[in-house]
Amino acid sequence: MSRKPLEGLRVADFSWYGAGPIAGNTLSQFGAEVIRVESETKPDGLRRVHPFAMNPDGTFKTGYNVSGYFNNFNTGKLSIQLNLNVPRGQEIAYRLIEKCDIFLTNFTPRVIDKWNLRYEQISARNPRIIAAYAPMQGLSGPHRDFLGFGAVLTPVTGISHMSGFPHRPPIGVGTNYPDYVINPGHTITAILAALRYRNRTGKGQMIELPQLESVVNALGTAVLEYLVNGDNPSRTGNRSLNYSPHGAFRCADDPESVGSVDRWVVIACRDDREWAAAAAALGHPEAAADPKFATFEARKANEDELEALIGSWVRDRKAEDVAAALQAAGVPAGVVQNAQDLLDRDPHMKARGYYQYVEHPEAGREAHDGPAFRLSATPGSVPGPAPLLGEHTMDVCERIIGLSMDEVADLLAEGVLV
Amino acid sequence: MPDRALEGIRVVEFTDETGAYCGRLLADLGAEVIKVEPPGGGRLRRARPFVKGHEGDPNASLAFWVHNTSKKSVVLDLETPEGRELARKLALSADIVLEDNPVGHLAARGLGYEQLRPGKPSLVYTSITGFGQDGPHASWAYSDIVGQAMGGIMTLAGEPADPPNMIYGRQADISASIQAAQGTLMALLHAEATGEGQLVDVSAQEALSMAQETAMQTWDFQKRNRVRTGELGMLPIPLPATGVAKCTDGYVSLYILAPAGKDLPALVDWMREKGMQGPLDDEPYCSIVNQLNMAWLTQLMSNPDAAGEILQHLPVITKTILDFFASMSAREAYEEGQRRQLLIGIVSTPKDIAENTQLRARDWFVRIESPLGGAVEFPGPPYRLSETPAVIGRPPRLGEHTESILAALV
Repeated sequence: MSRKPLEGLRVADFSWYGAGPIAGNTLSQFGAEVIRVESETKPDGLRRVHPFAMNPDGTFKTGYNVSGYFNNFNTGKLSIQLNLNVPRGQEIAYRLIEKCDIFLTNFTPRVIDKWNLRYEQISARNPRIIAAYAPMQGLSGPHRDFLGFGAVLTPVTGISHMSGFPHRPPIGVGTNYPDYVINPGHTITAILAALRYRNRTGKGQMIELPQLESVVNALGTAVLEYLVNGDNPSRTGNRSLNYSPHGAFRCADDPESVGSVDRWVVIACRDDREWAAAAAALGHPEAAADPKFATFEARKANEDELEALIGSWVRDRKAEDVAAALQAAGVPAGVVQNAQDLLDRDPHMKARGYYQYVEHPEAGREAHDGPAFRLSATPGSVPGPAPLLGEHTMDVCERIIGLSMDEVADLLAEGVLV
Repeated sequence: MPDRALEGIRVVEFTDETGAYCGRLLADLGAEVIKVEPPGGGRLRRARPFVKGHEGDPNASLAFWVHNTSKKSVVLDLETPEGRELARKLALSADIVLEDNPVGHLAARGLGYEQLRPGKPSLVYTSITGFGQDGPHASWAYSDIVGQAMGGIMTLAGEPADPPNMIYGRQADISASIQAAQGTLMALLHAEATGEGQLVDVSAQEALSMAQETAMQTWDFQKRNRVRTGELGMLPIPLPATGVAKCTDGYVSLYILAPAGKDLPALVDWMREKGMQGPLDDEPYCSIVNQLNMAWLTQLMSNPDAAGEILQHLPVITKTILDFFASMSAREAYEEGQRRQLLIGIVSTPKDIAENTQLRARDWFVRIESPLGGAVEFPGPPYRLSETPAVIGRPPRLGEHTESILAALV
């Protein structure tokens, strides 16, 4: 078996909820040993929310170890319970950090201060540490203690204002969107760059990833339009400034799509050629020559009518068939897929084997997101199930931190390892 | 100039919409990123919005600027043998090749991974496409909205009565680029340690899968599909102090029942200070305000009937709260609400972001040279590295570096 590229690296993962643990999950999938520091006195909120695994009788399993939300983001990690509110717990944290290459947290600056985990404190114990802090708005500044999570960042960063239909209020995008790719992905990008610098110079460093700054950086042209042109753009639904038609069109219902029978196909025509090919593929080649739709400018000027027309062409057809016909003509198109499609019905996802299944001791067989990038020589993989809360407390204390069994027993008795 | 994390690394990129942001991340971190562009430039050079008064100018597309900072530009025509030969030489001078063309497009021009590898075994070659390098949809045509649809996030966004919503900002492209940056850097570390290069294969569809939040696991465990629920979000019924509230000049989003921050009574305290508590100090509202918290909500989620008696009184509470927010600016609602530890987010417009108190206090925006001359203010980097900060440099003019780069090729 090929070596994973991050083997030999150890990560102290002092993070919780989404953005932090997902960064740790990526490191774990590519071979790093990742130690989640947790506490039963204040467990990761994702351990306590749906979706829970089910019992054979149709009831939900209970406890801290059966949430698919938590389990998907913490594959193959070790879990140690540690009470960071007491000085002896903080000392154990330092001793763990001394044995690690990377420190990761998305707790608020207020909590970082309380636990004495500021960069100058931990780098004093391990100057080679690469310490990544990912607070909402930064470690400094007048809003540093503002509360939030992914769903709050969605409006604050401009995503809500810029997404959705103009006749609707800015309702957001249905999820804690920035938590899943943008923020953990930027965090890992910075960590890997810092690892290269450390390889060359021996120096560790601090990474600060204010989630606000990270997301606004990835918000397309909106802010630049204001800074350069003085414009203050707003949401335009599924339309594009550059392509037309560009949107989602309702197809025939699919009764087998559980709880979600409405089916939609998206179509993006990037030039007149693709539009002509799309019209022909959908059986209406004459529409492409219609002066109302013949050029991009004409299609934008008549976009309501254009969309109604395409809608009438596809309304009674199967979405998969419409997408396949358009793709056969070289037109970007696809079905608005749900999770049932992605896991069970999309032949491409299946052939690529993106989702990986592991057996979890309490939740049972679980699907997991596999690595989101494929390295041909040193591929990642889901390394194993997520840890039970505190499953590896003894192992981490003895094998990694180097405590004796007597010391561990004392810490347990003193309530430090809870 | 500070130390640069990617000092000494040369990247040659054949990217347009999907992979340009990956190249930008590497360039801002200090790699020398050379963008190989076709004569006239690619789609992004022609994409709106443009700098006002410069519509159609390939050096004035803001869509190009925002994903191509700190790069160099070389124009080569890959449809000619000479252009291909120069591109091949250039690619072999690189540590990393980055591309986002349809599968097989570069290989047909002698620039595929298998063709370059013998000339440079340590080469990291990153391909960013809609659906990846293999599988039944590998040759499918792709544009951002297709990735968002097929990747499972559109089905979760929007009101049930509307079509599913696309997320602004070409998020499938962005996500693919961010995943690619991670894979590319891991492969680079491996190549520097062992001399072994490799292919990094990124699919925009897979890049977004994680952003389905819990939809995938909900299907896996419970055989239910999560669907778009619009403003209601995860709530079973509309509740006071959750969702969008209109202010005098914009909107805020309220999450006051969520498990962070203070509960409703703290909001009513604020309303009372302004004399706008309405009937909320009277019964039955006073008791309900004290009762509506996360514990109650959790109970409600498992048993919607538990709302019972309370239900009929909620509209009055909701209206009183909405009237309160309608009396102030969005910025006041956000900043004063957060000061009181109420979980409120401003619905920022681009102008609000440009004027954001925190971003300005932290000096986040940078000034860079404009490709059209003069200087412009630009959004800052996604992260701050204490020893090797990301530095945002000017996007290149089309073909600006063709002569100097090619002259240095042996």
